[in-house]
Amino acid sequence: MAELGPVTCAGCGLLCDDVVIDPLGDAVTIRPRCELGAQWFSERASRAANAPAATIRGRPVALETALTRAAELLKTARRPLIHGFDGATVEDARAAVALADRLGALVATGSAAGAWPGAPAVPLHGASTATLGEIRDRSRLIVIWREDPETTHPRLLDRLGLDGGSRSERALLVIDDRDTATVQRADLRLAWPRERDLEALTILHVLQRGLAPRPSELANELTGLADRVLAVPHATIVYGAGLTAGAGGQRRALALHELVRALCHGRHVVTLELPGAAGTRSADDVLAWQTGYPQGVDLAGGHPELVTAIGPLAPSEGVDVSLRVQSATARLPASVTEIALSSVPLADDEDVEVSIRTAAAGVAAAGTAHRLDGVPLALQAPLAGDGPTAAALLTRLLGEVQR
Amino acid sequence: MTAIRISGGAVHDPANDVDGEVRDVCLEHGKVVADVGPDARRIDARGMVVMPGGVDIHAHIAGPTVTAARKLSPDERRDDPLGRTDVLRSGTGGLVPSTFATGYRYSLLGYTTVVEAAAPPLAARHVLAELRDTPMIDKAFLILMGNNQVLFELIRESGGAVSGGRGRLEDAVAWWLEATGGYGVKLVNPGGVELYKQSGGHVDSLDDEVAGFGVTPRQVLEAIGGAVDALGLPHPVHVHANNLGVSGNADTTLDTMRTLSGRQAHFAHIQFHSYGGKPGGLPRSRAPELLEHLSSHPEFTVDVGQVMFGPAMTMTADAHVSEVLRDLDGGKWISHDTEVETGCGIVPYTYRAGNYVHALQWAIGLELFLLGQDPWQVMLSTDHPNGGSFLSYPKLIRLLMDRAFREDQMRRANQKAIRRTALLDGVQREYTLSEIAIITRAAPARRLGLRDKGHLGVGADADVTIYHDRADREEMFATPRYVIKGGEVAVDDGDLRLAGDGMLLSSRAPFDPDVAGVLEPLFGDRYTVAFEHYPVRDPALREPARVVEARGS
Repeated sequence: MAELGPVTCAGCGLLCDDVVIDPLGDAVTIRPRCELGAQWFSERASRAANAPAATIRGRPVALETALTRAAELLKTARRPLIHGFDGATVEDARAAVALADRLGALVATGSAAGAWPGAPAVPLHGASTATLGEIRDRSRLIVIWREDPETTHPRLLDRLGLDGGSRSERALLVIDDRDTATVQRADLRLAWPRERDLEALTILHVLQRGLAPRPSELANELTGLADRVLAVPHATIVYGAGLTAGAGGQRRALALHELVRALCHGRHVVTLELPGAAGTRSADDVLAWQTGYPQGVDLAGGHPELVTAIGPLAPSEGVDVSLRVQSATARLPASVTEIALSSVPLADDEDVEVSIRTAAAGVAAAGTAHRLDGVPLALQAPLAGDGPTAAALLTRLLGEVQR
Repeated sequence: MTAIRISGGAVHDPANDVDGEVRDVCLEHGKVVADVGPDARRIDARGMVVMPGGVDIHAHIAGPTVTAARKLSPDERRDDPLGRTDVLRSGTGGLVPSTFATGYRYSLLGYTTVVEAAAPPLAARHVLAELRDTPMIDKAFLILMGNNQVLFELIRESGGAVSGGRGRLEDAVAWWLEATGGYGVKLVNPGGVELYKQSGGHVDSLDDEVAGFGVTPRQVLEAIGGAVDALGLPHPVHVHANNLGVSGNADTTLDTMRTLSGRQAHFAHIQFHSYGGKPGGLPRSRAPELLEHLSSHPEFTVDVGQVMFGPAMTMTADAHVSEVLRDLDGGKWISHDTEVETGCGIVPYTYRAGNYVHALQWAIGLELFLLGQDPWQVMLSTDHPNGGSFLSYPKLIRLLMDRAFREDQMRRANQKAIRRTALLDGVQREYTLSEIAIITRAAPARRLGLRDKGHLGVGADADVTIYHDRADREEMFATPRYVIKGGEVAVDDGDLRLAGDGMLLSSRAPFDPDVAGVLEPLFGDRYTVAFEHYPVRDPALREPARVVEARGS
């Protein structure tokens, strides 16, 4: 078989759509080179041949049997949860929210169990953002705040124009006290412990107002950073869970957006949020347009209510049945009966009551996904596959539930 | 599909010169027909008013900007939930309702067709997916082309001249419509958004050069307006002129009109572009002057963009305007730049009757409605949700139809502002039902080139709204007795009875496929999306659709 492409890689939120894949051999290879992308294609290409269509408690069953059992569980659930969406498409999310609406379920577009992404800050204050091309063409300074995109979004820096050619025109500044691959590429690295991020943001806010912060080593470091941001007409701050996750995350995110807003007088500063998973942005957008609310929504009352959780959802909400959409793992309490729709093998397959194999969007099924900057892209189906999409399965379940 | 006879209502169908005549309207197979058989369902409309379904020519209901506004304002919708039923999806209302709520509420208001007026072409997949989740109504979207760097290159290469015949620019515009499923072409602050994104700049004159591109706003207007005209698209170029909201911007608006003189054009939310005074100073009204110009240019139409007192959600591709509002208000603000194509700004806002500027904006809108000579040229909009929600249309209609109510409302507004308009000069006009039918359905449908909509002649779409003929026009237009969509009763006495999908409306003009060879290298330098992946081909997003062909196609 010849090389296939270019196709869109959904291995991370960047959704690079210039990828040529070679599916021959033990593993799929891709170009431009990206280990994360190659691994993503390989896991899904091999899955089609080896995995059973469905399992119950790890034992292979017919798809129809699994669907019937899943529908029973959902119909009789006291407090159903639909969550995950790590690899979901827009179509998957649309079908999932439709099912949630009918069930009166709780919906969470991030993890409902493990690492909590933090309460959203945008609804409280707003944000200044841009697509990748805008950042590449205009930003003269890119600040990466406690993220390691070289590992999580391997082509980000190149796609933002930090790949050598026009590199001299722009600078990369990384804030991180870890030795990461991204730090290795920085023109300047600033390091302070995560616990001081809010303090740092506050000092930067003081500095951009032209005031003198209380003297400290951190203030000295930040004076140089503020000078650099204030000296350029366009700058970008890249952030993610490294800043916003966990206790105090919302306050830190708010401080960041307040700082950026203040900087947007006489210059243009934007933020770019790195999502934890490729499908998060798609699911979040769909949830917002169908219900009016992003991230976490409770439909139990017959209408959408925003869930303003202060921690992981599932343990605190009394969930008894969960439907996990396109996410390989979740650490839910043992009392929760799990249904999973996934294109990749589950790490916890034997703990899952019903597991159904799906086609992998972007590998064996077409679809649509929203890039981390919101740009919608088509996912192609370069390889043959026989499984149904998650969207098709969710629509089947909706039909079963309505029957 | 059931045949229906609407019997004994007073029919207001101005496109067919029917003005309140009591007659039957027959529907079958989704169309208006001359007659139906005796088994047809009979709707007794005696004492009621029968109109074609409403057509909103300019609103913001779907796409990344609208969803960003939803994310920005959960608090604003918390008290306005819509419960699910056996037929309907749940949702939330407020100024920026969720998609399902948007469709339901437009339908409950008697509207059957709505145009999303500002879609970034790059976001077409998102827009289409949202529109697929917006039920009950037929819907179209206009693609933003006034700050497109690729088109700037083509315009510069042509020296800014209008080709007169078919050229690359025409082919490019037609290609973009085909690539996105869009219905028409929108220009927002042509050239000015790119200037803002570059340096925070703005357009002082239509002859300012857009740095780095060698084109001027005037050239963009002439070239793209000319291309749309030459293509014969069903809807002419839809213009949000430069300098929205700036005191003295009537000069820019008139200059824009003169630039497009002789070509078909629609000017959006003209209220926001009708200001006298000097930039930075207090505005005054120049609505009469604009109306005078309009009356001598039948090739132009406008929608008003009426401001309604109360909360609004400003959302615009004209990001500079949002920055100004952000600094005025100090509240929430979203800015989002879309590569190559456009910007975006969102600011929640409240129009206050006691505020001079807000009251003046309110009064200018009414001047435009009441002093305009030809209702076919001046259409109803609030630029939803910028001037107010579409749910305020019934109140706006009452302001136009009920002089006593209007004067009462005027007394509550800032008097200094009211005195600086013509409203105190004894404006006695009260719109008739047929004039309301013109500005809310017949004229928008005609201007959109939707021959099957906005009228009740044989062959028209069976989209019909039936109202109780109430003295309180606000109540009358807020609560239709029946809304019939595509020949099916969708609303019966305030209850939604079905949840049809509605249809996507697209337009199409032929183009030289070789234009792709011109566009591809220009894309490659600018977009972060591959040229071959840019067009939307997924049938689930594109179909079913009614495709309206350009003239001469």
